[in-house]
Amino acid sequence: MADPNKVDPIHQFLITDIVRFGDGFAFTNSALFMVLTVGLILAYLLLSTTRRSIIPGRAQLISEMLYEFVANMVRNSAGTAGMKFFPFVFSLFMFVLVANMFGMIPFLFTATSHIIITFALAILVFAVVIIYGFYKNGLKFLKLFVPSGVPAYVLPIVVPIEIVSFLSRPISLSVRLFANILAGHITLKVFAGFVVTLGSLGFLGWLGALLPLTMTVAITALEFLVAALQAYVFAVLTSMYINDAIHPSH
Amino acid sequence: MSEMRDTGGGGEDERVRRQSQILKEKIARAQGAHSAGLAGGASQPRDMTGMGRAMRLGTEFIAAILVGAVAGYLLDRWLNTTPWIMLVLLLVGFAAGVLNVVRAAEQMNKASPPPPGSDLGPGTDDDEN
Repeated sequence: MADPNKVDPIHQFLITDIVRFGDGFAFTNSALFMVLTVGLILAYLLLSTTRRSIIPGRAQLISEMLYEFVANMVRNSAGTAGMKFFPFVFSLFMFVLVANMFGMIPFLFTATSHIIITFALAILVFAVVIIYGFYKNGLKFLKLFVPSGVPAYVLPIVVPIEIVSFLSRPISLSVRLFANILAGHITLKVFAGFVVTLGSLGFLGWLGALLPLTMTVAITALEFLVAALQAYVFAVLTSMYINDAIHPSH
Repeated sequence: MSEMRDTGGGGEDERVRRQSQILKEKIARAQGAHSAGLAGGASQPRDMTGMGRAMRLGTEFIAAILVGAVAGYLLDRWLNTTPWIMLVLLLVGFAAGVLNVVRAAEQMNKASPPPPGSDLGPGTDDDEN
């Protein structure tokens, strides 16, 4: 860290305390960026929709497009009955999207690069699915684990498989988001580090540094895509799981 | 229903009726689409990038194995049956992983069907599902 030429691609994920409240409890940079994320979403959506013009301006148009986008996604995956969960899916989508985008700004912290954050989001989704599933369907929700049209003598094998498959969903949901963001940011840092290291070698180094520099630019563009795509994937899968809670039979 | 008669009193009625007929059809169509959406279930996320798909399949597979192994390990520690439950649940997790991947791939195929007329090779007609 002290040596500017030393590349430390992991350093960006370090959690530091900003304000400490006694033992083991602190307001960290991760918490700060989550607050900023929520604040930015709230401020943008509130400010851009205050005028409520029939012919929307640019800011209002973006808000409306975000709404339409998520609304169509929920309707396609979970049907109109799933629109009850639109606020939930929209909040998740916006949170992940904006947190990822914060990470694309240099020197800012990426909250979604820590698995505890993404896992908390995924567990929240599953708590909602399980609680609503039992509330709506009662014990029939357990039909989720019994595929229709399977003969009774294979059920002892199929049911555990279905249960493990269900339990694996929050893991895959959270690991996918976290791994994409983490891996992308590390790759970006490593390539950018090559530029610095090669650049310190003189003229030939400068020429060589052009290659990783191009890669860095290209990967930055790719990372913007990944940031948006992972928010989309997270929201789509959430609405598909909600669809399972509404219609438990496969 | 010519344009000439629109100026007359009777033509105006005709025009209004025609307009309301069109509107009625539009409403019926929209309601049809709405109730189709109400049925739900037809879930197919639109096209993702290749890397998105690869990540999806990979995590689906590994997550199931991890869940099986960890659940088996914890049950073994609790029941003092090391390593039997873990071995069984590892296999179950493997099966669940394959199931996850098959389901995810099924959705992806549904989201982007092969272009019509493309040769899918022999035997595509006789497998079920």
